[in-house]
Amino acid sequence: MVSRVLLRKLRRDIRDRKWSFLALVAIMAVGVSVFLSMAAVYQDLDGARTRYYRNYRLGDFVVDLKRAPDWTLDEVCTLPNVREVRGRVRFSILADLPGLVKPIPGEAISLPADKPPAINGILLKSGTWFSNTHQREVILDHQFATANHLKPGDRVKALLLDKQHDLLVVGTAMAPEFVYLIPPGGGLAPDPAHYAVMYMPHKFLQESCDLEGAYNELIGLAHDNSSTSLKITLDRIERMLDAYGVTNTGQMKDQPSISVVRDELFNLKSTATIFPLIFLGVAALILNIMIGRLVAQQRVVVGTLRALGHSRLTVTLHYMGFGVAAGVGGSLLGLGLGAWIQSGLLEIYNQFFAIPDIVGHIYPGLMISALGIGIIFAVLGTIRSCLKAANLEPAEAMRPPPPESGGRILLERASFFWHRLSFRWKMIFRSVFRNPFRSAVSVLAAGIATSLMVATICLVDAMDYLVVHHYDAVAHEDLSVDLRDPKGERSLSEVKTFPGVSQCEPQLAVLCDLTNGPYQKRTSVTGLLPQSRLYTPLDDSGRPVTVPDEGLILTRKLADILNVKVGDRLLLRPLIAERRKVETQVVGLVESFLGLSAYCHPVYLSQLLGERWVANRFLFDTYPGSDTNAFMEEVKRRPSVTGIGDRLRSYKKMKATMEEFNGTFLWVTVLFSGIIAFGSVFNTALVSLSERQREVGTFRVLGYSSAQVSQIFSGESFLLNGLGIVVGLGLGVWFAHLLSLAYNTELYRFPTVVYGYRLVEVALLMAFFVTIAQIIIFRMIKKLEWLEVLKVKE
Amino acid sequence: MASTDRHVILSVRSASKIYRMGEVDVPALRDATLDIFDGEFLIIVGPSGSGKSTLLNLIGGMDRPTSGAVKFLDQDLSTGSDWELTQFRRLEVGFVFQFYNLVPTLTALENVQVAAEIANDPMDPMKALELVNLADRADHFPSQMSGGQQQRVSVARALAGNPRLLLCDEPTGALDQETSRQVLGMLVELNRTLGKTVVLITHNGAIAGLGDRVAVIRDGTIASVEVNEHPTPVEEIRW
Repeated sequence: MVSRVLLRKLRRDIRDRKWSFLALVAIMAVGVSVFLSMAAVYQDLDGARTRYYRNYRLGDFVVDLKRAPDWTLDEVCTLPNVREVRGRVRFSILADLPGLVKPIPGEAISLPADKPPAINGILLKSGTWFSNTHQREVILDHQFATANHLKPGDRVKALLLDKQHDLLVVGTAMAPEFVYLIPPGGGLAPDPAHYAVMYMPHKFLQESCDLEGAYNELIGLAHDNSSTSLKITLDRIERMLDAYGVTNTGQMKDQPSISVVRDELFNLKSTATIFPLIFLGVAALILNIMIGRLVAQQRVVVGTLRALGHSRLTVTLHYMGFGVAAGVGGSLLGLGLGAWIQSGLLEIYNQFFAIPDIVGHIYPGLMISALGIGIIFAVLGTIRSCLKAANLEPAEAMRPPPPESGGRILLERASFFWHRLSFRWKMIFRSVFRNPFRSAVSVLAAGIATSLMVATICLVDAMDYLVVHHYDAVAHEDLSVDLRDPKGERSLSEVKTFPGVSQCEPQLAVLCDLTNGPYQKRTSVTGLLPQSRLYTPLDDSGRPVTVPDEGLILTRKLADILNVKVGDRLLLRPLIAERRKVETQVVGLVESFLGLSAYCHPVYLSQLLGERWVANRFLFDTYPGSDTNAFMEEVKRRPSVTGIGDRLRSYKKMKATMEEFNGTFLWVTVLFSGIIAFGSVFNTALVSLSERQREVGTFRVLGYSSAQVSQIFSGESFLLNGLGIVVGLGLGVWFAHLLSLAYNTELYRFPTVVYGYRLVEVALLMAFFVTIAQIIIFRMIKKLEWLEVLKVKE
Repeated sequence: MASTDRHVILSVRSASKIYRMGEVDVPALRDATLDIFDGEFLIIVGPSGSGKSTLLNLIGGMDRPTSGAVKFLDQDLSTGSDWELTQFRRLEVGFVFQFYNLVPTLTALENVQVAAEIANDPMDPMKALELVNLADRADHFPSQMSGGQQQRVSVARALAGNPRLLLCDEPTGALDQETSRQVLGMLVELNRTLGKTVVLITHNGAIAGLGDRVAVIRDGTIASVEVNEHPTPVEEIRW
């Protein structure tokens, strides 16, 4: 069936077109590798996550309260859908590490001393479990310990309530609830060195936190963990424990650390679908053009083969072989490249996510699918031309093809324009319009490559914009301090005297329930002085908003969730103190890209808590060059402090993380777009050159230099690709807009950020790819044996 | 007209061309010596494979000899750079091909413009078309014209750059007898009225009678060069 001679012919056909073939293989390899790597990483990460959550018993729900007696746990267990619960103590702390002046904020979490398979368990990475439940022992978060060079046997000091405890480090551990540890107010990037998660024996922590026989956080597993069931269950628990001061209830899957991983998995899945489709689609279109040309060139060969008695099927398969060879070659290369990308991505995920065993596996099923997808697209790309070859009648095929039709193109009707064109441009325009499919593919490929780059760069700029907005445009303080509980006016006069402070502004941040009919959201409401200078939320047009005496200012996203607009009324209920429900009005909206904030006057919020004026957060501006160490020493002495913020440090950390991640991301996208652009430009130009070799010869004989002849080809290429670039810029901006719609979550939102100079950069980069391909074509024209070409009648 | 009255514009001296085909050397032209006089109508006759195209390539600055010399006036074409040869073809030579080699995506007029645009002292392309009696077809594409018409466009294109030399490679090879006669008549006319030097190569001995001189080429060598005192009028050519 498969003729060995025809196989040999196929091999030579490929060898004669090796550069086109390789460019095509490269595009297919990119498509297949993206599919394989993303799908494999998805399975690796999803598998590791699922195993981790299951083995260390990640809970389904969490309830924070002021203080509930231990015996209530049994009662909660009687509620329907509750499978198992654990009461634990969770407390904000300040850790004092040897050699560090600045205290490190963090939290202490209690664990049973007898190492049962507790809900929200931990994975011990080094050292041992607690020796008994009353001991002053601590197991440190592994990343925190590593970043601060702490190991079992070391001692750390931690301020719990008003007492500093000297604790023996017995072990280090990681936990499924802290897979992506974002400190409160720390933005999007984990900073393990500066957030201390410490696990302590349950009884010891109860005693130290004034919670003997009680707990302040309830975590539990449910029989049915669907969102609706959990919501009903949480409502029941909240009602049952209302007397114990429920301050927050939530589903574990909404915790940032959990949802970030879930969002990432979703992104991987989308990428594994969309990217390969684009790359393999472009490859199929280019193949279509290439095989079309191959068949046209070998018209007489086709006729001869058929005349000699080869079947239509043999002819079809023979020409399909070219595409399939590219498909198989691209897929095999893609498998290798995919494995490499997979290991690179896993390395990045291992840095970002504290999940054990994110290990790359080989998935034979996926590899077979990848290979199959590559081949299917290759067949799709070749089928049209192969059938055309097979359907040529032998006698007809052996006659020369009908002459290329002349005729005018539509553009010639614009005679004013047309008559001003040189014959070169007339040739270019006629060639463009007489090969509409090829021209369209050129435009499309350039458009896709351009839009991929634009969308990626816009996304990166959006992240940058978001970070600058959050850390620079809205926040202006040098340092900030959080208190465990709201304090009165005396505290303000006290912190104002801290060393180095030039300005200090109080804030009051309270977790509240906001309700508008069926729409409800639990979020932090911040009391903010109207004349605040260290923290200035901005409205749509970038102007600072002034907080009114009464009513709320909401971030736009929060207003959307609550389905309210300016002037609407909603119910506000703080989750601390008197927890009184009041009606209030939405008086303004602000733009914010992180979290769901709401702002009001601090006096208004204080009064809701039954106080005249209280604050639980202070922002500081310090004198330039002032000694922050002295400031930190003051802070350390105050047990009511639970958090210390350093805006510039967080800003830098965030920028560094983004640069590292986005840098790689950008390079890979530019490389892949470049492969598409180059492959498309190169192949269509080659096909065009092969069709018009005779013209090249004629022009050379007439006294045109190779450079002048090249201008005709490059003119066509620059025209089509220029158009493609323009289309791609528009398409890219649209993609960027779609991405900003897709990345619109409660945790973060990406604005559509398009800078004109970025578009110019992308256009120049694309022009560079096109030029490189044209230079190669120029060299081919220079080397073309044009005398030979003229000798034979085509 | 006696050829001795005129001066030589192109001379070929002991020119050989050896093509290397894989492992073997194939001599296509051996030790050829030939002068071309200004304003003459020279016909080079030989069977296919005799080396006449190779000779025409050397004369036309499309190729360089392996040994020997080709000189156009004072310019040595055998050692000229690519650019010098390109300039020579552009300014001094007009080519007429067997298969016309018109650009299918350009109209007749535009095909002529292709040559006019790069010349120093071009002829008006429309005038060139008038000379070949195709002014009324200026807007036609090659696919809309007969073979004879296409070849006439090709002649007009060869004239457009106002070259001294017209080199015609089997210009009637693809045409029927009547059309051939028209095209040949036109070439003779151009030689007589415009004083263009015409070099025509053909395998068809019947055409030889048209020329002022006839060179016979056989097996890569120039076998003879004869002066034809009384060229045959085109109408009397039979083949």
